Amino acid sequence: MNDQGTWKFGTREVVYGALGAALYGVFSLATNIFPLPAAGNITFRPAVAVLIFFGVAFGPWVGLLAGFIGNILGDALSGWGFYWHWSLGNGLMGMIPGLVAGSIKDFRARPDIIRAVVWGIVGIAVGMLFASLMEIFMGGIDLSTALVGYFTPAFLGNTLVTIILLPILMYAFAAVAARRGR
Amino acid sequence: MLATWKYRPRDTYVQRLDPRTRLIFLVCVIFGVSLAGIWDMRIILPLFLLTLALFLMARVPWKDMKRTLIYIIVLVVVIVGINGLLTGRGGPTAVLRTPSPTLFEVPIAIPGTQIGVWIPVTVSRAWFAVVQILRMLTMALLAIPLPFTMDPNIYGVTFRRLGIPDKVSFAMDLAFRFLPTLARDFSTTMDAQRARGYELERLGGGLFSRIRKLAPLIIPVTMQSTVTAEEVVDAMDLRAFGTAPRTWVRSLQYAPRDYALISLGVFILAGCLISRYAFGFGQFWVPDFMYSLVP
Repeated sequence: MNDQGTWKFGTREVVYGALGAALYGVFSLATNIFPLPAAGNITFRPAVAVLIFFGVAFGPWVGLLAGFIGNILGDALSGWGFYWHWSLGNGLMGMIPGLVAGSIKDFRARPDIIRAVVWGIVGIAVGMLFASLMEIFMGGIDLSTALVGYFTPAFLGNTLVTIILLPILMYAFAAVAARRGR
Repeated sequence: MLATWKYRPRDTYVQRLDPRTRLIFLVCVIFGVSLAGIWDMRIILPLFLLTLALFLMARVPWKDMKRTLIYIIVLVVVIVGINGLLTGRGGPTAVLRTPSPTLFEVPIAIPGTQIGVWIPVTVSRAWFAVVQILRMLTMALLAIPLPFTMDPNIYGVTFRRLGIPDKVSFAMDLAFRFLPTLARDFSTTMDAQRARGYELERLGGGLFSRIRKLAPLIIPVTMQSTVTAEEVVDAMDLRAFGTAPRTWVRSLQYAPRDYALISLGVFILAGCLISRYAFGFGQFWVPDFMYSLVP
Protein backbone atom coordinates (compact mmCIF):
# COMPACT_ATOMS: atom_id res chain seq x y z
CA MET A 1 0.00 0.00 0.00
CA ASN A 2 2.95 2.33 0.56
CA ASP A 3 5.35 0.96 -2.00
CA GLN A 4 5.15 4.04 -4.22
CA GLY A 5 6.59 7.52 -3.78
CA THR A 6 4.88 9.75 -1.28
CA TRP A 7 4.11 12.44 -3.87
CA LYS A 8 3.16 10.14 -6.76
CA PHE A 9 -0.09 11.25 -8.38
CA GLY A 10 -1.53 8.50 -10.57
CA THR A 11 -4.76 6.60 -11.07
CA ARG A 12 -4.73 5.20 -7.55
CA GLU A 13 -4.50 8.66 -6.00
CA VAL A 14 -7.30 9.97 -8.20
CA VAL A 15 -9.62 7.09 -7.28
CA TYR A 16 -8.84 7.04 -3.56
CA GLY A 17 -9.02 10.83 -3.41
CA ALA A 18 -12.48 10.69 -4.98
CA LEU A 19 -13.55 7.85 -2.74
CA GLY A 20 -12.30 9.62 0.39
CA ALA A 21 -14.15 12.76 -0.68
CA ALA A 22 -17.40 10.87 -1.23
CA LEU A 23 -17.08 9.10 2.13
CA TYR A 24 -16.29 12.39 3.86
CA GLY A 25 -19.40 13.93 2.29
CA VAL A 26 -21.71 11.02 3.17
CA PHE A 27 -20.49 10.65 6.75
CA SER A 28 -20.59 14.40 7.36
CA LEU A 29 -24.18 14.49 6.21
CA ALA A 30 -25.13 11.48 8.33
CA THR A 31 -23.57 12.63 11.58
CA ASN A 32 -24.65 16.25 11.66
CA ILE A 33 -27.04 15.25 14.44
CA PHE A 34 -24.28 15.48 17.07
CA PRO A 35 -23.81 19.10 18.10
CA LEU A 36 -20.63 19.90 19.97
CA PRO A 37 -21.30 21.07 23.55
CA ALA A 38 -20.55 24.78 24.10
CA ALA A 39 -20.22 25.54 20.42
CA GLY A 40 -23.61 25.71 18.81
CA ASN A 41 -22.43 26.04 15.24
CA ILE A 42 -19.89 23.20 15.27
CA THR A 43 -20.94 19.58 14.96
CA PHE A 44 -18.98 16.43 15.56
CA ARG A 45 -17.56 15.12 12.32
CA PRO A 46 -16.49 11.52 12.84
CA ALA A 47 -15.76 11.73 9.11
CA VAL A 48 -12.57 13.62 10.00
CA ALA A 49 -11.10 10.34 11.23
CA VAL A 50 -11.86 8.79 7.82
CA LEU A 51 -10.23 11.75 6.08
CA ILE A 52 -7.07 11.44 8.15
CA PHE A 53 -7.06 7.70 7.64
CA PHE A 54 -7.11 8.20 3.85
CA GLY A 55 -4.16 10.56 4.16
CA VAL A 56 -2.20 8.16 6.34
CA ALA A 57 -3.00 5.11 4.19
CA PHE A 58 -2.77 6.54 0.68
CA GLY A 59 -0.59 9.63 0.87
CA PRO A 60 -0.79 13.42 0.91
CA TRP A 61 -2.46 13.93 -2.48
CA VAL A 62 -5.28 11.59 -1.51
CA GLY A 63 -5.69 13.38 1.82
CA LEU A 64 -5.70 16.78 0.11
CA LEU A 65 -8.23 15.74 -2.54
CA ALA A 66 -10.46 13.92 -0.06
CA GLY A 67 -10.55 16.90 2.29
CA PHE A 68 -10.88 19.61 -0.32
CA ILE A 69 -13.43 17.91 -2.57
CA GLY A 70 -15.16 16.19 0.36
CA ASN A 71 -15.84 19.49 2.07
CA ILE A 72 -17.17 21.03 -1.15
CA LEU A 73 -19.37 17.97 -1.52
CA GLY A 74 -20.56 17.96 2.09
CA ASP A 75 -21.39 21.67 1.88
CA ALA A 76 -23.20 21.10 -1.41
CA LEU A 77 -25.23 18.24 0.06
CA SER A 78 -26.12 20.28 3.11
CA GLY A 79 -26.89 23.37 1.03
CA TRP A 80 -24.26 25.55 2.69
CA GLY A 81 -22.63 27.11 -0.33
CA PHE A 82 -19.00 27.25 -1.41
CA TYR A 83 -16.35 28.40 1.06
CA TRP A 84 -12.97 27.77 -0.50
CA HIS A 85 -10.92 28.52 2.62
CA TRP A 86 -12.74 25.92 4.72
CA SER A 87 -12.41 23.40 1.89
CA LEU A 88 -8.68 24.11 1.63
CA GLY A 89 -8.38 23.87 5.42
CA ASN A 90 -10.01 20.44 5.27
CA GLY A 91 -7.62 19.53 2.45
CA LEU A 92 -4.62 20.47 4.61
CA MET A 93 -6.13 18.42 7.43
CA GLY A 94 -5.96 15.35 5.18
CA MET A 95 -2.69 16.18 3.43
CA ILE A 96 -0.42 16.70 6.44
CA PRO A 97 -1.00 13.24 7.97
CA GLY A 98 -0.34 11.91 4.48
CA LEU A 99 3.28 12.98 4.82
CA VAL A 100 3.89 9.98 7.07
CA ALA A 101 2.17 7.52 4.73
CA GLY A 102 5.50 6.19 3.51
CA SER A 103 6.75 5.44 7.02
CA ILE A 104 3.68 3.52 8.20
CA LYS A 105 4.73 -0.09 7.79
CA ASP A 106 2.31 -1.93 10.02
CA PHE A 107 -1.18 -0.57 10.57
CA ARG A 108 -1.54 -2.68 13.72
CA ALA A 109 1.74 -1.63 15.35
CA ARG A 110 1.32 0.73 18.26
CA PRO A 111 4.20 3.09 17.29
CA ASP A 112 2.77 3.47 13.78
CA ILE A 113 -0.73 4.11 15.13
CA ILE A 114 0.59 6.71 17.58
CA ARG A 115 2.58 8.39 14.79
CA ALA A 116 -0.52 8.51 12.59
CA VAL A 117 -2.64 9.99 15.39
CA VAL A 118 0.01 12.61 16.23
CA TRP A 119 0.35 13.67 12.58
CA GLY A 120 -3.42 13.66 12.31
CA ILE A 121 -3.63 16.12 15.20
CA VAL A 122 -0.94 18.28 13.57
CA GLY A 123 -2.98 18.22 10.37
CA ILE A 124 -6.13 19.23 12.24
CA ALA A 125 -4.29 22.08 13.95
CA VAL A 126 -2.81 23.43 10.70
CA GLY A 127 -5.96 22.94 8.61
CA MET A 128 -8.38 24.44 11.10
CA LEU A 129 -5.99 27.26 11.98
CA PHE A 130 -5.63 28.15 8.31
CA ALA A 131 -9.41 28.19 7.77
CA SER A 132 -10.06 30.11 11.00
CA LEU A 133 -7.40 32.72 10.26
CA MET A 134 -8.64 33.13 6.68
CA GLU A 135 -12.02 33.92 8.20
CA ILE A 136 -10.41 37.13 9.54
CA PHE A 137 -9.90 38.32 5.96
CA MET A 138 -13.00 36.79 4.45
CA GLY A 139 -15.49 37.51 7.22
CA GLY A 140 -13.87 40.44 8.97
CA ILE A 141 -13.85 38.79 12.41
CA ASP A 142 -11.08 39.51 14.91
CA LEU A 143 -8.25 37.20 15.94
CA SER A 144 -9.77 36.19 19.27
CA THR A 145 -13.11 35.28 17.65
CA ALA A 146 -11.23 33.26 15.03
CA LEU A 147 -9.26 31.39 17.68
CA VAL A 148 -11.92 30.97 20.35
CA GLY A 149 -15.09 30.77 18.28
CA TYR A 150 -13.87 28.83 15.27
CA PHE A 151 -10.49 27.18 15.78
CA THR A 152 -10.78 25.84 19.34
CA PRO A 153 -14.09 23.95 19.05
CA ALA A 154 -13.21 22.61 15.61
CA PHE A 155 -9.77 21.52 16.77
CA LEU A 156 -11.00 19.85 19.96
CA GLY A 157 -13.92 18.06 18.30
CA ASN A 158 -11.83 16.78 15.39
CA THR A 159 -8.96 15.73 17.65
CA LEU A 160 -11.32 13.73 19.83
CA VAL A 161 -12.80 11.74 16.94
CA THR A 162 -9.32 11.16 15.50
CA ILE A 163 -7.93 9.80 18.75
CA ILE A 164 -10.87 7.42 19.12
CA LEU A 165 -11.64 6.31 15.57
CA LEU A 166 -8.34 6.47 13.67
CA PRO A 167 -6.74 3.51 15.52
CA ILE A 168 -9.87 1.42 14.88
CA LEU A 169 -9.80 2.31 11.17
CA MET A 170 -6.10 1.46 10.92
CA TYR A 171 -6.58 -1.86 12.65
CA ALA A 172 -9.47 -2.78 10.35
CA PHE A 173 -7.50 -1.70 7.28
CA ALA A 174 -4.57 -3.92 8.23
CA ALA A 175 -6.89 -6.93 8.08
CA VAL A 176 -8.40 -5.87 4.75
CA ALA A 177 -4.98 -5.19 3.20
CA ALA A 178 -3.63 -8.53 4.41
CA ARG A 179 -6.60 -10.36 2.91
CA ARG A 180 -6.24 -8.47 -0.36
CA GLY A 181 -2.54 -9.17 -0.55
CA ARG A 182 -1.45 -5.68 -1.72
CA MET B 1 -29.95 7.74 4.93
CA LEU B 2 -30.93 9.50 1.76
CA ALA B 3 -28.24 11.63 0.11
CA THR B 4 -30.08 14.01 -2.14
CA TRP B 5 -28.74 16.97 -4.01
CA LYS B 6 -30.21 20.34 -3.26
CA TYR B 7 -30.02 21.09 -6.97
CA ARG B 8 -33.22 21.39 -8.99
CA PRO B 9 -33.15 22.49 -12.64
CA ARG B 10 -35.01 25.76 -13.14
CA ASP B 11 -35.26 28.07 -16.10
CA THR B 12 -33.75 31.14 -14.47
CA TYR B 13 -31.18 33.72 -15.49
CA VAL B 14 -28.79 32.41 -12.84
CA GLN B 15 -28.99 28.82 -14.05
CA ARG B 16 -28.58 29.86 -17.66
CA LEU B 17 -25.21 31.35 -16.75
CA ASP B 18 -22.10 29.30 -17.41
CA PRO B 19 -21.04 27.82 -14.03
CA ARG B 20 -17.54 29.22 -14.56
CA THR B 21 -19.00 32.70 -14.77
CA ARG B 22 -20.62 32.32 -11.40
CA LEU B 23 -17.44 31.11 -9.71
CA ILE B 24 -15.35 33.86 -11.34
CA PHE B 25 -17.86 36.51 -10.26
CA LEU B 26 -17.92 35.08 -6.73
CA VAL B 27 -14.13 35.18 -6.49
CA CYS B 28 -13.98 38.73 -7.89
CA VAL B 29 -16.47 40.06 -5.33
CA ILE B 30 -14.92 38.21 -2.38
CA PHE B 31 -11.39 39.27 -3.25
CA GLY B 32 -12.48 42.78 -4.18
CA VAL B 33 -14.03 43.32 -0.76
CA SER B 34 -11.54 41.38 1.36
CA LEU B 35 -8.18 42.04 -0.35
CA ALA B 36 -8.86 45.73 -0.75
CA GLY B 37 -10.14 45.96 2.84
CA ILE B 38 -13.34 47.73 1.87
CA TRP B 39 -15.28 49.00 4.91
CA ASP B 40 -17.09 51.94 3.33
CA MET B 41 -20.86 51.57 3.24
CA ARG B 42 -20.96 53.62 0.03
CA ILE B 43 -19.23 50.69 -1.69
CA ILE B 44 -20.60 47.83 0.41
CA LEU B 45 -24.26 48.76 0.00
CA PRO B 46 -24.34 48.72 -3.85
CA LEU B 47 -22.46 45.41 -3.81
CA PHE B 48 -24.90 43.99 -1.28
CA LEU B 49 -27.87 45.08 -3.41
CA LEU B 50 -26.25 43.54 -6.50
CA THR B 51 -25.65 40.18 -4.82
CA LEU B 52 -29.13 40.30 -3.27
CA ALA B 53 -30.57 40.80 -6.77
CA LEU B 54 -28.62 37.79 -8.08
CA PHE B 55 -29.71 35.80 -5.04
CA LEU B 56 -33.37 36.59 -5.70
CA MET B 57 -32.96 35.89 -9.42
CA ALA B 58 -31.88 32.34 -8.53
CA ARG B 59 -35.52 31.84 -7.41
CA VAL B 60 -34.71 29.07 -4.96
CA PRO B 61 -37.82 28.37 -2.84
CA TRP B 62 -37.68 29.58 0.76
CA LYS B 63 -38.40 26.11 2.14
CA ASP B 64 -35.30 24.74 0.39
CA MET B 65 -32.80 27.15 1.87
CA LYS B 66 -34.65 28.18 5.03
CA ARG B 67 -32.32 26.30 7.38
CA THR B 68 -29.15 27.61 5.80
CA LEU B 69 -30.36 31.19 5.63
CA ILE B 70 -31.55 31.24 9.23
CA TYR B 71 -28.23 29.82 10.38
CA ILE B 72 -26.19 32.35 8.40
CA ILE B 73 -28.32 35.27 9.55
CA VAL B 74 -28.12 34.19 13.19
CA LEU B 75 -24.35 33.74 12.89
CA VAL B 76 -23.79 37.05 11.17
CA VAL B 77 -26.23 39.17 13.15
CA VAL B 78 -25.98 37.65 16.61
CA ILE B 79 -22.37 36.50 16.82
CA VAL B 80 -20.50 38.81 14.44
CA GLY B 81 -22.84 41.81 14.65
CA ILE B 82 -23.13 41.93 18.44
CA ASN B 83 -19.41 41.33 18.80
CA GLY B 84 -18.75 44.28 16.50
CA LEU B 85 -21.28 46.42 18.38
CA LEU B 86 -19.83 45.73 21.81
CA THR B 87 -16.13 45.46 21.06
CA GLY B 88 -15.62 47.19 17.70
CA ARG B 89 -13.07 44.53 16.87
CA GLY B 90 -12.70 42.46 13.74
CA GLY B 91 -12.42 45.37 11.37
CA PRO B 92 -10.17 48.33 10.64
CA THR B 93 -8.37 49.97 13.53
CA ALA B 94 -10.16 53.22 12.69
CA VAL B 95 -13.26 51.88 14.49
CA LEU B 96 -11.46 51.88 17.81
CA ARG B 97 -8.98 54.72 17.26
CA THR B 98 -11.35 57.40 16.01
CA PRO B 99 -12.84 59.36 18.95
CA SER B 100 -16.56 58.78 18.84
CA PRO B 101 -19.45 59.80 21.14
CA THR B 102 -21.37 57.16 23.06
CA LEU B 103 -24.79 56.23 21.73
CA PHE B 104 -25.87 54.11 24.68
CA GLU B 105 -24.44 51.76 27.28
CA VAL B 106 -25.05 48.03 27.54
CA PRO B 107 -25.10 46.80 31.16
CA ILE B 108 -23.49 43.43 31.67
CA ALA B 109 -24.11 42.82 35.36
CA ILE B 110 -25.09 40.08 37.77
CA PRO B 111 -28.93 40.09 37.80
CA GLY B 112 -30.36 41.94 40.80
CA THR B 113 -27.07 43.59 41.65
CA GLN B 114 -24.98 46.55 40.53
CA ILE B 115 -21.93 44.34 40.08
CA GLY B 116 -20.78 44.33 36.50
CA VAL B 117 -19.62 46.55 33.68
CA TRP B 118 -21.37 49.01 31.41
CA ILE B 119 -20.05 48.75 27.89
CA PRO B 120 -20.31 51.98 25.89
CA VAL B 121 -21.58 51.52 22.35
CA THR B 122 -20.11 54.36 20.34
CA VAL B 123 -21.32 55.75 17.03
CA SER B 124 -18.34 54.12 15.30
CA ARG B 125 -19.04 50.69 16.77
CA ALA B 126 -22.76 50.82 15.96
CA TRP B 127 -22.09 51.78 12.34
CA PHE B 128 -19.27 49.24 12.10
CA ALA B 129 -21.64 46.45 13.20
CA VAL B 130 -24.08 47.38 10.43
CA VAL B 131 -21.29 47.52 7.82
CA GLN B 132 -19.84 44.23 8.94
CA ILE B 133 -23.20 42.45 8.77
CA LEU B 134 -23.84 43.70 5.23
CA ARG B 135 -20.26 42.93 4.20
CA MET B 136 -20.56 39.30 5.29
CA LEU B 137 -24.02 38.89 3.78
CA THR B 138 -22.73 40.27 0.46
CA MET B 139 -20.33 37.36 0.20
CA ALA B 140 -22.67 34.72 1.69
CA LEU B 141 -25.52 35.58 -0.69
CA LEU B 142 -23.33 34.64 -3.64
CA ALA B 143 -22.15 31.37 -2.09
CA ILE B 144 -25.41 30.02 -0.63
CA PRO B 145 -27.40 29.49 -3.88
CA LEU B 146 -24.59 27.57 -5.63
CA PRO B 147 -25.54 24.03 -4.49
CA PHE B 148 -29.19 24.75 -5.22
CA THR B 149 -28.59 26.04 -8.72
CA MET B 150 -25.51 24.25 -10.08
CA ASP B 151 -25.81 20.79 -11.61
CA PRO B 152 -23.53 18.36 -9.70
CA ASN B 153 -22.69 16.66 -12.99
CA ILE B 154 -20.82 19.70 -14.26
CA TYR B 155 -18.65 20.42 -11.24
CA GLY B 156 -15.76 18.42 -12.75
CA VAL B 157 -15.81 19.98 -16.19
CA THR B 158 -16.30 23.41 -14.63
CA PHE B 159 -13.12 23.14 -12.59
CA ARG B 160 -11.25 21.68 -15.58
CA ARG B 161 -12.27 24.56 -17.81
CA LEU B 162 -11.16 26.94 -15.08
CA GLY B 163 -7.65 25.56 -15.47
CA ILE B 164 -7.60 22.91 -12.72
CA PRO B 165 -5.59 19.84 -13.91
CA ASP B 166 -7.43 16.95 -15.55
CA LYS B 167 -6.79 14.44 -12.79
CA VAL B 168 -8.00 16.70 -10.00
CA SER B 169 -11.11 17.63 -11.98
CA PHE B 170 -11.77 13.98 -12.74
CA ALA B 171 -11.36 13.12 -9.05
CA MET B 172 -14.09 15.64 -8.34
CA ASP B 173 -16.29 14.13 -11.05
CA LEU B 174 -15.65 10.63 -9.72
CA ALA B 175 -16.49 11.68 -6.16
CA PHE B 176 -19.93 12.79 -7.29
CA ARG B 177 -20.44 9.43 -9.00
CA PHE B 178 -19.34 7.48 -5.91
CA LEU B 179 -21.70 9.35 -3.67
CA PRO B 180 -25.03 7.57 -4.38
CA THR B 181 -23.32 4.17 -4.13
CA LEU B 182 -21.73 5.00 -0.81
CA ALA B 183 -24.96 6.48 0.51
CA ARG B 184 -26.71 3.23 -0.42
CA ASP B 185 -23.95 1.16 1.24
CA PHE B 186 -24.29 3.32 4.33
CA SER B 187 -28.07 2.70 4.44
CA THR B 188 -27.59 -1.04 3.96
CA THR B 189 -25.00 -1.16 6.75
CA MET B 190 -27.24 0.86 9.02
CA ASP B 191 -30.16 -1.51 8.37
CA ALA B 192 -27.94 -4.53 9.04
CA GLN B 193 -26.70 -3.03 12.31
CA ARG B 194 -30.23 -2.07 13.33
CA ALA B 195 -31.27 -5.68 12.82
CA ARG B 196 -28.63 -6.44 15.47
CA GLY B 197 -30.10 -3.87 17.86
CA TYR B 198 -27.93 -0.88 16.96
CA GLU B 199 -29.67 2.50 16.87
CA LEU B 200 -27.82 5.60 15.75
CA GLU B 201 -30.48 7.87 17.22
CA ARG B 202 -30.14 6.34 20.68
CA LEU B 203 -26.42 6.29 21.21
CA GLY B 204 -26.03 6.62 24.94
CA GLY B 205 -23.10 7.16 27.22
CA GLY B 206 -20.53 9.92 27.37
CA LEU B 207 -18.83 11.72 24.56
CA PHE B 208 -16.09 9.12 24.09
CA SER B 209 -18.58 6.29 24.19
CA ARG B 210 -20.86 7.92 21.62
CA ILE B 211 -18.03 8.44 19.18
CA ARG B 212 -16.70 4.92 19.66
CA LYS B 213 -20.16 3.49 19.03
CA LEU B 214 -20.13 5.01 15.55
CA ALA B 215 -17.42 2.55 14.54
CA PRO B 216 -19.89 -0.24 13.54
CA LEU B 217 -21.27 2.14 10.93
CA ILE B 218 -18.11 3.82 9.68
CA ILE B 219 -15.69 0.91 9.55
CA PRO B 220 -17.65 -1.53 7.30
CA VAL B 221 -18.56 1.16 4.76
CA THR B 222 -15.01 2.55 4.63
CA MET B 223 -13.31 -0.84 4.35
CA GLN B 224 -15.73 -2.16 1.73
CA SER B 225 -15.20 0.97 -0.34
CA THR B 226 -11.40 0.54 -0.31
CA VAL B 227 -11.88 -2.95 -1.77
CA THR B 228 -14.17 -1.57 -4.48
CA ALA B 229 -11.69 1.22 -5.22
CA GLU B 230 -9.02 -1.30 -6.17
CA GLU B 231 -11.31 -2.65 -8.89
CA VAL B 232 -11.93 0.88 -10.17
CA VAL B 233 -8.17 1.55 -10.25
CA ASP B 234 -7.61 -1.61 -12.28
CA ALA B 235 -10.42 -0.76 -14.71
CA MET B 236 -9.08 2.77 -15.22
CA ASP B 237 -5.50 1.58 -15.65
CA LEU B 238 -6.66 -0.92 -18.28
CA ARG B 239 -8.21 1.99 -20.18
CA ALA B 240 -4.91 3.92 -19.96
CA PHE B 241 -6.26 6.64 -17.72
CA GLY B 242 -3.96 9.61 -17.40
CA THR B 243 -1.74 8.84 -20.36
CA ALA B 244 -3.24 11.61 -22.51
CA PRO B 245 -5.49 14.66 -22.01
CA ARG B 246 -9.05 13.49 -21.48
CA THR B 247 -12.24 14.74 -23.03
CA TRP B 248 -15.47 15.57 -21.21
CA VAL B 249 -18.99 14.60 -22.18
CA ARG B 250 -20.43 17.97 -21.23
CA SER B 251 -19.08 21.07 -22.92
CA LEU B 252 -19.36 24.59 -21.57
CA GLN B 253 -19.89 27.64 -23.72
CA TYR B 254 -19.76 31.28 -22.68
CA ALA B 255 -22.69 33.41 -23.87
CA PRO B 256 -22.83 37.21 -24.06
CA ARG B 257 -24.51 37.32 -20.62
CA ASP B 258 -21.48 35.49 -19.21
CA TYR B 259 -19.05 38.00 -20.66
CA ALA B 260 -21.18 40.78 -19.23
CA LEU B 261 -21.17 39.32 -15.69
CA ILE B 262 -17.46 38.45 -15.80
CA SER B 263 -16.72 42.01 -16.96
CA LEU B 264 -18.78 43.33 -14.08
CA GLY B 265 -16.88 41.08 -11.65
CA VAL B 266 -13.50 42.21 -12.97
CA PHE B 267 -14.69 45.83 -12.81
CA ILE B 268 -15.71 45.34 -9.15
CA LEU B 269 -12.37 43.72 -8.28
CA ALA B 270 -10.31 46.35 -10.09
CA GLY B 271 -12.54 49.15 -8.84
CA CYS B 272 -12.17 48.08 -5.20
CA LEU B 273 -8.39 47.72 -5.46
CA ILE B 274 -7.87 51.00 -7.34
CA SER B 275 -10.21 53.06 -5.19
CA ARG B 276 -8.62 51.74 -2.02
CA TYR B 277 -4.94 51.79 -2.92
CA ALA B 278 -4.77 54.57 -5.52
CA PHE B 279 -7.28 57.01 -4.03
CA GLY B 280 -7.56 55.88 -0.40
CA PHE B 281 -11.33 55.57 -0.79
CA GLY B 282 -13.09 52.60 0.79
CA GLN B 283 -11.82 52.82 4.36
CA PHE B 284 -14.14 52.85 7.34
CA TRP B 285 -16.45 55.85 7.14
CA VAL B 286 -19.27 57.00 9.41
CA PRO B 287 -22.10 59.09 7.89
CA ASP B 288 -23.03 62.36 9.56
CA PHE B 289 -26.58 61.31 10.40
CA MET B 290 -25.22 58.75 12.86
CA TYR B 291 -23.91 61.57 15.07
CA SER B 292 -27.36 63.14 15.21
CA LEU B 293 -28.57 60.01 17.02
CA VAL B 294 -26.38 60.78 20.04
CA PRO B 295 -28.67 61.70 22.96
